[in-house]
Amino acid sequence: MREWVTFFDSEGRVTDSEALRKRVFYGGVEHLIRKEVWAFLLGYYAYDSTYAEREYLRSVKKSEYETIKNQWESISPQQAKKFTKFRERKGLIDKDVVRTDRSLSFYDGDDNPNVCLLHDILLTYSFYNFDLGYCQGMSDLLSPILYVTGDESESFWCFVSLMERLGPNFNRDQNGMHTQLFAISKLVELLDSPLHNYFKQHDCLNYFFCFRWVLIQFKREFEYEKTMRLWEVLWTHYLSEHLHLYVCVAILKRQRNKIISERMDFDTLLRFINELSGHIDLDAVLRDAEALCICAGENGAACIPPGTPPSLPIDNGSLYPQEDDVL
Amino acid sequence: MGSSSGQSNSYDLSFKILLIGDSGVGKSSLLVSFISASTNDLAPTIGVDFKIKLLTVGGKKLKLTIWDTAGQERFRTLTSSYYRGAQGIILVYDVTRRETFTNLSDVWAKEVELHLTNKDCVKMLVGNKVDRESERAVSREEGMALAKELGSLFLECSAKTRENVEQCFEELALKIMEVPSLLEEGSNAVKRNILKPKEGHPAPPGGGCC
Repeated sequence: MREWVTFFDSEGRVTDSEALRKRVFYGGVEHLIRKEVWAFLLGYYAYDSTYAEREYLRSVKKSEYETIKNQWESISPQQAKKFTKFRERKGLIDKDVVRTDRSLSFYDGDDNPNVCLLHDILLTYSFYNFDLGYCQGMSDLLSPILYVTGDESESFWCFVSLMERLGPNFNRDQNGMHTQLFAISKLVELLDSPLHNYFKQHDCLNYFFCFRWVLIQFKREFEYEKTMRLWEVLWTHYLSEHLHLYVCVAILKRQRNKIISERMDFDTLLRFINELSGHIDLDAVLRDAEALCICAGENGAACIPPGTPPSLPIDNGSLYPQEDDVL
Repeated sequence: MGSSSGQSNSYDLSFKILLIGDSGVGKSSLLVSFISASTNDLAPTIGVDFKIKLLTVGGKKLKLTIWDTAGQERFRTLTSSYYRGAQGIILVYDVTRRETFTNLSDVWAKEVELHLTNKDCVKMLVGNKVDRESERAVSREEGMALAKELGSLFLECSAKTRENVEQCFEELALKIMEVPSLLEEGSNAVKRNILKPKEGHPAPPGGGCC
């Protein structure tokens, strides 16, 4: 805490954002200040904003949130009958929030108000970004944010910032996911050619076994506290915007001998990777990922096409050109 | 018919079973109800989850590897890669949500035809959530009619009360065993598995001394 205040000038600007990001990257964040740190890392707060500007931002954004939320709150049952997309979306969200992280005390028990908040924020987001809507996995991404900020409007805007970067993961055409999986295959080819050759021979180059890792930023692979630690490291964009891809390579590299010696085929590999959940040493993997990222240097960066999430999209046309899910 | 979850090597046949259907129809619940009897608050499936069940059907010890897939349409390109090599497919709908039923014939059945590698693969249509009889939106007769059209088996069940849950998997397994090409795949899968440790890997896990 005492260290945290040294990053600000007298009016509350972060004077050296790179130093802050480096500090988070290597040292992590105490839970008490996470709420504020995450707002900066996600880009909801500008580093050069003052205390007063941030306070103003919060109040403006709070009323803006209420306005968007009111768009769906004001839909009457009669109107809802004629609004299939709204009913479908709400139905999906209703079903997912009651099964998101319910074993945590923050979300457990009947009529837990935080579960209602998850619901309201996600439904509001699906109106804020109507083209993208709601997709499974989003509740996983929102859950820690709400847990950390503890505030509805703040969580919403942090989630919006996160989705600016990860939205393409949920695109109907799945292009955001495919670009990232392709980049992983290129990185493995660069950093571990025996493993690459093995995957090639065994028809595993689609890297679908990394899908869950990438889609929700390893949320299902680590316990809650570790996931938060990993996320803030990834969000610093300190060594690379795409450190998560190096994390994938690092995990695969650690399992390479087992994968090859047991001659895993696509089905076996998929199951094996799924079952690594809860058994990955985060600190070791982060050290490896950092080393791989440094070692790969520009060759590594060249494996990752421009616009690959979480980089912001290159063109500013219609970001989510898609029909709504009907299922 | 009994079932157990003992060592992984003590079975005669090994089958891959896929669970598909809209999001929220209860695929994961059905599976967990089959495996362990509790169905509370399962996290939405991202990609696919797996469960193994050993059971004895028709005097044979079977190992079922059950693939529980994500239901949301956006993940369809991903789920299509899961069909390869499946001997059985369970198409699940929610009897209280009519659209999950129509989607089975409009969307899922087509997916199945498109991606199946063994055309003999046995299909089973399952209407879940019959414990909510008052909310029923799809009649039993409609379910049977669709099953007939798809050439699949049919059952209604409740993952919550476990009514008919074991029957879903057992009837499917029995049917698979009646099909020679699937039976052969099932026994080859076991042979491959047993051969593996001999390829230069000592001490299979759990292997005892005699």
